[in-house]
Amino acid sequence: MNTQPIYMRNLSKSLYTGLCSRLGQPLSRKILRNGGRSAAARKTAGLKAAGWLACGFLIVGAAPAWADHVEKHFKVDSRPVITLHNPNGAVTVKAWTNSEVMVIASPASSDVEVDVEQTGNRVDIMTHPTSDSVADDELRADFEIRVPQDAELQIHDDSGAVSVNSVLGDMNVETVGAGVDLSDAAGYLSVKTIGGSFQCLRCAGQVEVSSISGNFRLLDMRSYHVRAQTSKGNILFNGEFIPNGFYDLKNYSGVIEVRFSPGDSFDLSATSLKGKVNNEAKLIPPTHQQHFYSRFGNSLFGSFNSGRAKVELSSFDGTINILKRN
Amino acid sequence: MAARTEMSTMGCNEFIGQLEDWLDGNRHPDARTHARECPSCRSVAADFDDIRGVAPALMVADPEPSPELWIRLRAQLEQEGIIRDGESVRTNAWTPAWLDRLLVAIPRPALAGAYLAALFAVAFGLSTALGLRTPESPNFALSAQLDSAEQTASSSMRDGKSLASASLHENLAIVDNYIALCENSVREEPDNEAARDYLYQAYQQKADLISQMTERGEPSR
Repeated sequence: MNTQPIYMRNLSKSLYTGLCSRLGQPLSRKILRNGGRSAAARKTAGLKAAGWLACGFLIVGAAPAWADHVEKHFKVDSRPVITLHNPNGAVTVKAWTNSEVMVIASPASSDVEVDVEQTGNRVDIMTHPTSDSVADDELRADFEIRVPQDAELQIHDDSGAVSVNSVLGDMNVETVGAGVDLSDAAGYLSVKTIGGSFQCLRCAGQVEVSSISGNFRLLDMRSYHVRAQTSKGNILFNGEFIPNGFYDLKNYSGVIEVRFSPGDSFDLSATSLKGKVNNEAKLIPPTHQQHFYSRFGNSLFGSFNSGRAKVELSSFDGTINILKRN
Repeated sequence: MAARTEMSTMGCNEFIGQLEDWLDGNRHPDARTHARECPSCRSVAADFDDIRGVAPALMVADPEPSPELWIRLRAQLEQEGIIRDGESVRTNAWTPAWLDRLLVAIPRPALAGAYLAALFAVAFGLSTALGLRTPESPNFALSAQLDSAEQTASSSMRDGKSLASASLHENLAIVDNYIALCENSVREEPDNEAARDYLYQAYQQKADLISQMTERGEPSR
């Protein structure tokens, strides 16, 4: 197990040389194929020189940004935990079949440092400034992370974007303005943003998401428990209502839209205190007493087919649409 | 919780009224009898025993919890009808005295959230069991307190113009707007539980935002 701290701040000389070689060789081959020998030779020599010169500029220009490039691999057991604290930046996490975690970090400047450490079966990643002079927006790092499928993730990324693909372990994502994009996820998924949007594509397990002004798109869902609350945001749910599942969608304003298929089976409760409820489902009225809230606002209660799942939609002054799936 | 059990000479309210003595170990025979016969009161007493027992172990250096924690606690207690307008509900006179003393008696540990969560749970249980949740129209003293906390948080924030900082302010304005809308709605329809729920959730959101802003205002480097 690799427990050494990592700071790969300098790409090796051989890597730069290799890069320059790759830039130079194709150019020279092309010239040799297309031109006369002497002219081609002169052009080749000139272009090679230009290529090396360009490499020189590239090295000089890119060195400050590359100086903090971080790449590290950690051997892990099953169900590793990966934590990330990053103030700003694009975070991409993907699952792979290796029993290791790979972290590639690209800090925005040499004033920003990324610590990656392993403790047991946990890998902790943290971005921090190296001086007090770093402006807030310069405190940024982008990440490419590969994890085993059963990894548990704890991600805190204020701004930028978070994308997680095919990770089946539990997940906790917190952002301020960063959007969160999950696909093919499972487990217990907890997402909290302030203004960031949220998209969940083909997610299973349990989903809990809250925001103040973020829009939610829950697509091709296979989750048995969804609780989504945003204040000033739209919520779209287009997925399967699993028998005995629970789906609770709530906002203050905006549109809550739920798509259903003829074969779905759910108990529906939809209330907008100051807004509208539009419904395309043929509901069987409930036999029991109406919910307490029903005398206020626009409410709709009933069962679709045998009512096996429970769907609760509520809005303060937004619009609720229960529409047939195309 | 039954108002009075048949076998015991002491009712639930009386039992709760002497809960402080109970927790201090002064357990009147009637109270013991009642505790044996009333599962709810027994459970409440056990919860507070647990809290009192666990709290010292949680104490690390007795730091003062942030004002935002107390705002949250206050919001929660107000939401549950335990307190109103900055004062404890007086319909059950035991509540303020022993709860205040308990809060004072319990050290304020670094892990304040742990026992606050426990207190929330107990407060919720008590308020439900004793019917303290009332449909009375709230006045909005909490809103003013949150505004005050917001001003403090804003002044303590660093001058940073980061995206996150801008987003926090932008969303705070959104929540303020919803608070105003919900307060109007509650004024118009005091019996509308849903509107009150929306209002309290908006308060909670504002408290969370202020908490985040305050944390960012603290030196982080």
